[in-house]
Amino acid sequence: MRRIPVLLGMLSLTCTVAAADSAGGWVSLPGGVFRSALELPDAPDGTRIPAFELARTPVTNREFLDFVRSHPRWRRDRVPAVLAESRYLAHWAGPAELGSTALPEQPVTWVSWFAAEAYCRSQNARLPTWNEWEYAAAADALRRDARSDPAWRETILAWYSRPSTQPLPAVGADSANAYGLRDLHGLVWEWVEDYSALLVSADNREQGAADSLEFCGAAALSTSDRDNYAVLMRVAMLSSLEGAGATANLGFRCARSP
Amino acid sequence: MVTRTAIFLLALALAAGCGSSKPQGDVDGETGGSAKGDFGPPQGEPVKAVLTAPPMVPPPTGRSAPAKVVVELEVIEKEMPISEGVTYTFWTFGGTVPGSFIRVRQGDTVEFHLMNAPDSKMPHNIDLHGVTGPGGGASSSFTAPGHRSRFTFKALNAGLYVYHCATAPVGMHVANGMYGLILVEPPEGLPAVDREYYVMQGDFYTTGRYREKGHQPFDMQNAIDEHPTYVLFNGSEGALTGDRALAAKTGENVRLYVGNGGPNLISSFHVIGEIFDKVWFEGGTRFQENVQTTLIPAGGAAMMDFHIEVPGSYVLVDHSIFRAFNKGALAILKADGPENKAIYSGKEVDEMYLGDRALPNLAAVATAAAAAKTGDLTVEQQISAGKALFAGTCSTCHQADGRGLEGVFPPLARSDWFAKDRLRVPTAILQGVQGKVTVNGKDYNSIMPPMNQLTDDEVANISTYVLNSWGNAGGRVTKAEAAAIRKGIKPQGAEH
Amino acid sequence: MMRPACITTCLAIAAVCALPDTTYAVEAALPSDSVYQLDAMLVDQSARPLRFRDLRGKPRLVTMIYTQCKYVCPMIVDCVKALERELTPAERLRIGFVLISMDPKRDTPAALQEVMTTRHLNPAAWTLLRPDAAGLRGIAGVLGVRYRALADGEFNHTTELVLLDADGRILARSALIGGRADPGLLAAVRAALSP
Repeated sequence: MRRIPVLLGMLSLTCTVAAADSAGGWVSLPGGVFRSALELPDAPDGTRIPAFELARTPVTNREFLDFVRSHPRWRRDRVPAVLAESRYLAHWAGPAELGSTALPEQPVTWVSWFAAEAYCRSQNARLPTWNEWEYAAAADALRRDARSDPAWRETILAWYSRPSTQPLPAVGADSANAYGLRDLHGLVWEWVEDYSALLVSADNREQGAADSLEFCGAAALSTSDRDNYAVLMRVAMLSSLEGAGATANLGFRCARSP
Repeated sequence: MVTRTAIFLLALALAAGCGSSKPQGDVDGETGGSAKGDFGPPQGEPVKAVLTAPPMVPPPTGRSAPAKVVVELEVIEKEMPISEGVTYTFWTFGGTVPGSFIRVRQGDTVEFHLMNAPDSKMPHNIDLHGVTGPGGGASSSFTAPGHRSRFTFKALNAGLYVYHCATAPVGMHVANGMYGLILVEPPEGLPAVDREYYVMQGDFYTTGRYREKGHQPFDMQNAIDEHPTYVLFNGSEGALTGDRALAAKTGENVRLYVGNGGPNLISSFHVIGEIFDKVWFEGGTRFQENVQTTLIPAGGAAMMDFHIEVPGSYVLVDHSIFRAFNKGALAILKADGPENKAIYSGKEVDEMYLGDRALPNLAAVATAAAAAKTGDLTVEQQISAGKALFAGTCSTCHQADGRGLEGVFPPLARSDWFAKDRLRVPTAILQGVQGKVTVNGKDYNSIMPPMNQLTDDEVANISTYVLNSWGNAGGRVTKAEAAAIRKGIKPQGAEH
Repeated sequence: MMRPACITTCLAIAAVCALPDTTYAVEAALPSDSVYQLDAMLVDQSARPLRFRDLRGKPRLVTMIYTQCKYVCPMIVDCVKALERELTPAERLRIGFVLISMDPKRDTPAALQEVMTTRHLNPAAWTLLRPDAAGLRGIAGVLGVRYRALADGEFNHTTELVLLDADGRILARSALIGGRADPGLLAAVRAALSP
């Protein structure tokens, strides 16, 4: 008879843990050889990505607020201009206060690369590289690489066609992809460690134009997969940003190497 | 005598010299293009460009010397109606589709500021077809959301030019409405007109069908396959109709600056009821005269002048006509003013015209028509009239003797199909017949198209003729019954 | 028995001696737009460690290269040397030329020292630095340099010559490289060095 309450207790504990896993926490990814949608002349057969861990969801306002409180250098009224532009965390009611327009479970936006990088370091983590991000984001709900599926592309494109006037939903609301990660698409753009490695021509029609001098011996990156608009647009977005820059639709999540 | 000849010759020479107004240039009549388009450094104070929202056009620059012109254009991503009850997320220059109209003069130095609204999702840039330089400005104007960029160019070529966003994927940015026009006036300016309007055609691709309600997302596959859902002037159905129609008055000269943003389709631009007195085809320097329909390439433009003589609604269309009537490529120019019957009279006569029914053996139809008017139409008269009408319309398939064609068209002679219900005859005439039918023991599975071009009298008369011919049991169908069937109402009673 | 005045004086002196080194407190606060706000650790060609902000104190012309680069980087060094030649000997000592490596794996202090020697760079004016891997992207970020590490260890990168004032604020930048110094950049350098 006494076993039943114990069992129920364990069951409820498991459920709580499972529920907690739907937001926050880390997902292990096995890595492997991955072919980018970008034409990488130095890695035509793909890049080897070592196993790594990626945060399940983007960093939230609440998590970033904790960081700002314990690292006051990153308050918007104290951060140096060279590390964050003037609109850094502009959507918060105060330097260390969210207010009603910045809900705790929304992904944090208006963050610069330097701030995102500092946050991840404070968690003994780092930002994911572009390769790692692209690899994790190639999955849909069932498959690890859904990139050739037109339906996958259409769902991603649908996000681009929705206007930004609606408030951002909370993280974790989206269903998990095949790895268990959420919100890689459809919520916010995300910083990567090597955002400035996306050497693309500012006129994106010049696919692979040979201005070798501009990038020291290389032409601008082009896409090998013209149909992969999701990647194209993400690359265009990241390549338009400076490290101190921030936008209303740009957040981040962290990664760890085991 | 000599003096008069001399004077005459002098006058002739002067007239020849003064007659032409050639554009400046080296070779006879040529402008010399960009090589001759640099009129030196800007003079005077910098000018802030007047930008207008479509369909309005900024006033002529009125300048006679090159100036520095500052253009500030903001990219705004916003949801707007594309048709009644249908919304779409447009990406816009200046908040409108097409984007703001920019007007400068050849030789001007343009300092171009491109701003990208902070809540934009995407980075954007701009390629102006009037710019000589890499990407038309695109490589120098790549702007992240919440930022601004600036570049400067000299407008070396006169003409009417398209501008559009060139960020990858370019087709999507253009399909979402990121295009507009920049007019680079020739140094001597354009001839004056009474009204100037800005119209731009574009094709739009949604996942839903034409006029399917709700918010419609962009459909990349349809765009690649070049299957537009909408083809529109100025970004939405009804943008230039009803109380938003373009306005003009009789006696005025109207100029249209018409662009085609594409992304895919070429426009066969025509104004119903008007002829273009002058078309600067492709937005260039030369004009053609007396043109009905002009081609405007995707990513191109044209300018046309026409003089309005007669009041009315003139419909701007893409004469690839299904685009106008089934995809929305339709706009109205409403001209008010006094009638001019000498130019256009309106409808003068509306009489019956019987065509080949005027032949003697169709006199029966005329008799029946007359009798119907007086109310004493007899069955015999109906049969006679019906017989005349049957020949030529129905006999083609069912044969003059009602025999039909074995396996293809059912017989009408001694037909068991309408024996029990005479109203099946007028119903078949008005609604057509589809699918399998069994007549006199044989199956037929063709399609009889509806003959609803026939009037109610004609349907009644033909039906009566059929019911009384080739061994059928008789009966009659009245005009009222035919009218009811046309309306879809079941007629009262079922006389046999 | 000491007089009260003497005791007070002694106590005062003792108190002052007990204070921490006050030179730090006297130094002006680093401006908000100074690149040295970025905290990063580096070592120079003599294996001496320093913090990024230790470069503060004189105007610096900074660029990023890597020693194995055969293409544009040698031209970058040429360009900076050409600019150096345009300056008077006195001016040359008032500015610092800083080459920061984007290849911390291979550009050891020894490799950096080799560049100093083969290119005949004056150690009184030139500093070659190798950042810690963790701080590399950040340094490139504040300087506005974009780079990509290739699979074979090479790099694709943009070219930026960045002129910093003594406090680390960016005064001018140039992407022009060639045999001669960019006249615009040269003018900016002279302006920065004028007293």
